[in-house]
Amino acid sequence: MLNKFMRLMENKFVPVASKLGSQRHLIAIRDAFISIMPLAIIGSLAILINNFPIRAYQNFMAFLFGPEWTSFSNYIYSGTFAIMSLLIVFSISYNLADSYDTDPLLAALISFSAFIITIIQSGKDGLTIPFQWLDASGLLVAILVAILATEIYVKMMNIIKLKKQKEEGTMSPILNRYFFALIPTIMIFLIFSLMRIVFASFGIENIIEEIYRLIQLPLMGLANNLGTALVIVFIGHFFWFLGLHGTNILEPVIQALYLPALQENIQAVNNNLAVPNIFTKPFFDSFVYMGGSGTTISLLIVIYLFSNSKRKRDLMKLSSTQSVFNINEPILYGLPIVMSPIYLIPFIFTPLILTLSSYFAILTGLVPKTIAMVPWGTPPIISGFLITGSITGSLLQIFNIFIGILIYFPFVKIAERIKE
Amino acid sequence: MENVVLVCTAGMSTSLLVSKMKKIAAENNIQINIEALAQSELKNYSKKIDLILLGPQVKYLLNNLERDYQNTQAKFAVIDSIQYGTLNGKAVLNQVLTLLDKKVI
Repeated sequence: MLNKFMRLMENKFVPVASKLGSQRHLIAIRDAFISIMPLAIIGSLAILINNFPIRAYQNFMAFLFGPEWTSFSNYIYSGTFAIMSLLIVFSISYNLADSYDTDPLLAALISFSAFIITIIQSGKDGLTIPFQWLDASGLLVAILVAILATEIYVKMMNIIKLKKQKEEGTMSPILNRYFFALIPTIMIFLIFSLMRIVFASFGIENIIEEIYRLIQLPLMGLANNLGTALVIVFIGHFFWFLGLHGTNILEPVIQALYLPALQENIQAVNNNLAVPNIFTKPFFDSFVYMGGSGTTISLLIVIYLFSNSKRKRDLMKLSSTQSVFNINEPILYGLPIVMSPIYLIPFIFTPLILTLSSYFAILTGLVPKTIAMVPWGTPPIISGFLITGSITGSLLQIFNIFIGILIYFPFVKIAERIKE
Repeated sequence: MENVVLVCTAGMSTSLLVSKMKKIAAENNIQINIEALAQSELKNYSKKIDLILLGPQVKYLLNNLERDYQNTQAKFAVIDSIQYGTLNGKAVLNQVLTLLDKKVI
């Protein structure tokens, strides 16, 4: 019965998850977000430095650097988080073209231009780039433009390459490369400027604003809902249970939905407004995935405190250092949790319950909302403080780890009894 | 010298396994170059690759490898999940040696 269930999972879900995980465009989007991560982290820390909620610190900084001291960090923010869409257009296009073995730099440059064509506005001083739409609110348009422009570019370059092979050129290779790229470049610019005119004929001048209002905003609303958060956590862990890197497979979706949510929070803090979003990228990384997916840091503590099994203790020692940095493949495969019916329950339920507990802790105001980005490998307890700017963030992490211990404990015992 | 890369999502969980494999290879005088890579680094890896081993969590990339490396001499395989989890350097090194048609240790 159990074996049948497992086989069903293997045959039905693994192929679907594999398709998602190896899909070219999703990989390009995911890698693009990974490449801009250093900039996003610096940008968000800059804002945290500005808004650290301790009066003495604020006074000290103002005394040291003058009343305008915060503009320093604001500049950093403007060059990082505030232009996230520009960065993303470039890096998605680069990754996508690279996956097709087509000149990535040219593709990225063309997509960058196509994005500017799509968003440029006429103001009273001539044409302007609307800076307020370059942050995460322009993300959906950025993703669409990057994929569309790169696809056209790659397809046309492939046709040209085929033609070129028939009549070997006499030009130097570097000249060749840019000369032949002219035709797709012209085509792409024509398509994108025509699109502007078509949209304008329907009365839409600011495409980014329209798409944000009609699609991205409802999507983000949907994402910032407890049910959606639970579903995302569940799917990620279910994939992991099948032995596939669930969080990695879902990464494009998570980044595209929950990084903008964080950016809204950061911006609100900087403008002294109420922070809007509970669910953000660091919410999951720091409050739920402690020690890695499944909150396995709690499982390690259970093994450390209560298990006599030599094999389990060896594994715990082997993986404890990595676990501090939220890496847990050794436990997932070595214990193993993957495909183990006993650990299925705590592995999936712990993160679900911790999503709930963290949600209510923030909803009731016990813990502030997340307002900073840290690398996902930042150790628990430190990360809770950094992402909320409050010691209560760390306390929530400790509380969550404790809940995790309570959930894992009986299952470790059951597993040991079955072994005997 | 043969060039072997182990691939996972961020190159971190495989790096510990790679350091164990290197140590055992050195002890047994096996001349082989082993590296851990993130999946996004693989594409721009400049050295000639003889063997790509995927961590079990990214076994879904196998189809992409077949697509990208069909015209090269590179072989590819997935690491056994238990050996991966227990960081069994010797077993994985033996998998490498078998795939490269060498004598196992």
